[in-house]
Amino acid sequence: MKRIFLTTTLLLLAATPAWAHKLKVFAAAEGAQIVGTAYFAGGGKAQNSAGRLLTADGSVVAEFHTDGDGAFRLGVISRQDYRISIDSGDGHVAEAHVAAAELPESLPATGSPAPAPTATVPVAQPTPAIDAVELAVARQLLPLRQQIDALEERTRFSDIMGGIGTIFGACGLYAWIASRRNRKP
Amino acid sequence: MAHIPDGVVTIPVLAAGAAITVGGLAWGLRALSPERMPRVAVLSAVFFVASLIHLPAGPASVHLILNGLMGAVLGAAAYPAIVVALLLQAVLFGFGGLAVLGVNAADMGVPAVLAGLAFRALWRRDAPRRTAVLGALCGGGAVVLTSLMLAGALALSGREFLPAAQVVLLTALPVVAVEAAFTAAALGLIARVKPELLEQES
Repeated sequence: MKRIFLTTTLLLLAATPAWAHKLKVFAAAEGAQIVGTAYFAGGGKAQNSAGRLLTADGSVVAEFHTDGDGAFRLGVISRQDYRISIDSGDGHVAEAHVAAAELPESLPATGSPAPAPTATVPVAQPTPAIDAVELAVARQLLPLRQQIDALEERTRFSDIMGGIGTIFGACGLYAWIASRRNRKP
Repeated sequence: MAHIPDGVVTIPVLAAGAAITVGGLAWGLRALSPERMPRVAVLSAVFFVASLIHLPAGPASVHLILNGLMGAVLGAAAYPAIVVALLLQAVLFGFGGLAVLGVNAADMGVPAVLAGLAFRALWRRDAPRRTAVLGALCGGGAVVLTSLMLAGALALSGREFLPAAQVVLLTALPVVAVEAAFTAAALGLIARVKPELLEQES
């Protein structure tokens, strides 16, 4: 019995660095598509989870499911702020935002289907060449952004020690107050 | 599982969770004597860390909860221990929301206290095998109850109960097995080397 206990304890201690169990969504624009992944911070991917593509005001544009790697790829037809919300079904939800500025300028903006007729000097029109450059840059940056996103969620050893310290500090405080109360009778 | 983020459950569920937690805290703090305080702090720290150690289990990733063990050793005092650890997890790691703290604490604290009551009622000092079996039941049973309460909280917030319960219980199955084994081993060891830890508070 003692050995089982020791083994379990050792196994627990040996388990890879502490990771939180929290659903995260990463999403970014790649050309006229929104690509991303849903994953548990530090852990596995959120496979076959239900997801929704929402506009900034909360109306649903599309519903989808993540694939076996937790990834998704959605085409969009208008240039506006989007929210991607993923629900893994067991009480975990997470959201990511994609700003309109990330999407190519060649897409029509919503809200104003036809550009206002009073518009005077047109700014440089977006061309297919510019779109292609933007797409290429977005592709190159994607892994980097994903890495930064994952790094943010890493559970740091100092945070864990801070939490343990706080618990023992609170215990000490309680003991101090209790001892003063006993001494005073 | 078991750490619900903000914005999932509805306001009546939040209110119910908060009410249960206030009650649990009041009861737990009354049951807490200064002599037992260090014990509560140690188990609170263990709970705080256990939720951070993530074990790969099939498609999902799970972590231990250890609320059965806490209940068996601490009794009602397990509730404040869980609340403190959950609060720190929410603040430091964004692990479960702050507004739903009451619901999360109820999901894990109520099974802990129930496991503690059952353990105290059935435990005999000179029966190590019985201790291990009881430990397995407390450890596994507390996780099952936590999953059911979680699924119930989700169902009351407008989700279908059965699918939610299925997903939650399926991902919890490996945790149930590991917790049953761990709690049985831990309590078995305590019962042999330091049985006074498990004695009823007089």
